[in-house]
Amino acid sequence: MKPRVCILRTAGTNCDKETAFAFEAAGGDPELVHVNRLISSEKSLDNYHILVLPGGFSYGDDIAAGKILANELRCKLNQGLKRFIAAGKLIIGICNGFQILVKSGLLPGNDTLEQETSLIINDCGSFLDEWVYLKVTRSQSHKSQVKCVWAKDLPEEIYLPIAHGEGKFVVRDKQVLARLKKNNQIVFKYSDNPNGSLEDIAGICDDTGRILGLMPHPERHIDIRQHPRWEKTSGASLGHGFLIIKNGVEYAKNNLRG
Amino acid sequence: MIGEFTDTKRLQLFYHNHLVCDLDMQFLHEGLPRTEKKACYVSPKHKEPAIAVKKDLTLYLSRLLGDYDICSKEWVVRQYDHEVQGGTVLKPLVGIVNDGPSDAAIVKPVLDSQRAVIVSNGINFRYGFIDPYWMAASCIDEALRQIISVGGSLEEVALLDNFCWGNPDKPDRLGSLVRTSYGCYDIAKAFGVPFISGKDSLYNEYAVHGKSQAIPGTILISAIAVMKDAGKAISMYAKKPGNLIYIVGLTREELGGSHYYGLFKAMGNNVPRVYPVQANKTFQALSRASSKGLISAMHDCSEGGLGVAASEMAFAGGLGMELFLAEVPYSGMSCGGKKKIDRNDFVLFSESNSRFIVEIEKKDQKKFEKLLKGTVFGLIGCVSQGKDFKVFGLDGEICVDSNINDLKESWQKPLRW
Repeated sequence: MKPRVCILRTAGTNCDKETAFAFEAAGGDPELVHVNRLISSEKSLDNYHILVLPGGFSYGDDIAAGKILANELRCKLNQGLKRFIAAGKLIIGICNGFQILVKSGLLPGNDTLEQETSLIINDCGSFLDEWVYLKVTRSQSHKSQVKCVWAKDLPEEIYLPIAHGEGKFVVRDKQVLARLKKNNQIVFKYSDNPNGSLEDIAGICDDTGRILGLMPHPERHIDIRQHPRWEKTSGASLGHGFLIIKNGVEYAKNNLRG
Repeated sequence: MIGEFTDTKRLQLFYHNHLVCDLDMQFLHEGLPRTEKKACYVSPKHKEPAIAVKKDLTLYLSRLLGDYDICSKEWVVRQYDHEVQGGTVLKPLVGIVNDGPSDAAIVKPVLDSQRAVIVSNGINFRYGFIDPYWMAASCIDEALRQIISVGGSLEEVALLDNFCWGNPDKPDRLGSLVRTSYGCYDIAKAFGVPFISGKDSLYNEYAVHGKSQAIPGTILISAIAVMKDAGKAISMYAKKPGNLIYIVGLTREELGGSHYYGLFKAMGNNVPRVYPVQANKTFQALSRASSKGLISAMHDCSEGGLGVAASEMAFAGGLGMELFLAEVPYSGMSCGGKKKIDRNDFVLFSESNSRFIVEIEKKDQKKFEKLLKGTVFGLIGCVSQGKDFKVFGLDGEICVDSNINDLKESWQKPLRW
């Protein structure tokens, strides 16, 4: 089975094509879907296994990055999303997609979809495009395990680019952070914090491990030519980002019905 | 289908069968009388500076690296998403820690194809103070040699011009603009590369004490080239200790408008020229060498000359370098002036066009030199293991004794906000 992947687009999305390319390379069947087609019921989330919120500047990032699309998800697509999540399906939000997931309350996730975390303006005060090393956070009790299905069997440290102005991860209060830690929902941490994120957090998942949000761009490190020093990198030809996307596709293949 | 060609010699537009526009083609094409403007150009004559000969040029090299035209632009480059759509094969910042100055960017617009597009730029407004013709020529050469530097060729190249000028209703402003256009025309034709488009920004003037002041007439040349295989891309940073360093292209006594003269608040008159026949040979030979995979690193020699280009390669690669100026092919007779005594500073900082610094592996020396037959080149040194950056002068005595950390700091500090 080729998992069907809904790559959600709207005005300002600009990473949809390469994200679709990445999912296709990993064995998925991606389709670019405009959010209005879901809102009008012309398309249904029920027909997909994976929902992807790609990077960009949805609605110009007016109000705050990702805020408007987050509200559309919360107010106009609420039922469909609830069904999608309850069916054990996967969601990944990359960069602007991560901002959308935290602002819609889908991450870290609670029953009321209340927003508990945010991604705010970088400490440096400006947009920043650079490659960063990320540590994959292991489970507190079982060091060999990771909770997030997207982060399975990754190397201890991975290399991906970031490109954002609002990527500083913050929480509403101490309890939220404590819960994230206790439930092993922190998936990636920056090795060298580029934006001032709390506890170097670069990506988190929900309590099921099936919804992932991260600021770095896995779709920009699919093949080795995207690595900034690929002429010096011998051997391996698959990028670290490919491994993340492959994990999602494989999980859907093995656990979800066609 | 929205229309058809007719023999009426008229432009007729219909909206639901209603004729809403009916114009004579003669009027459309010739109706607006051509404006006539007056242009005049007078060659300026600048003072030739008398710069004392100095034994140690280390300080001058660091000051050049910190010049605002030369220093790192990382602060602004990183504020632009230069990797969106995932096809950037050669990024604007390259090197062992991704912070050296790439000559051009390479983008693969179709992700599952290896065909790529190279985008480069040439700009140097200082030359325009001496002669706008050679400013245009130099900018075209710079944009083209950057394409060669990153592993491209001139087979499929197009240019764009971008004029930023003062008020063209004033004859002197228009005069320099016209002279720039002649430079664009001649040199583009000589290289066989078409201008496909451009952009103008005119009337850039402001009043100081009631007198209108124009910005320095500046041309920016952008070049775009098709690259068949992005896998042949070459970055500018030094790769391996023991590798050989060549300079390809003739260094002339062309310090006019140079950043080195700028250190002494001087302009001079020997502005770098372009010699398209020789330049084309150099470009083609290097393209062949890069397509054969012989080149480890290549960097365009421009602002600050050989000294700046080699420093950038060394510190971007995190490796040292040893260079010998006596091996640099040099001509002190470029502009018909009196022959001067060859000077280390002129060889190191001349900004002659069509030159490259190239790093190759020792084992490829013979193959590389054979490919370069018919061009001017010199084996000037090697990449070294440590952090030292050393240049030995024409007399064999050391004239730059520095290290890559200091040089990099000089280059990064000015715009590190």
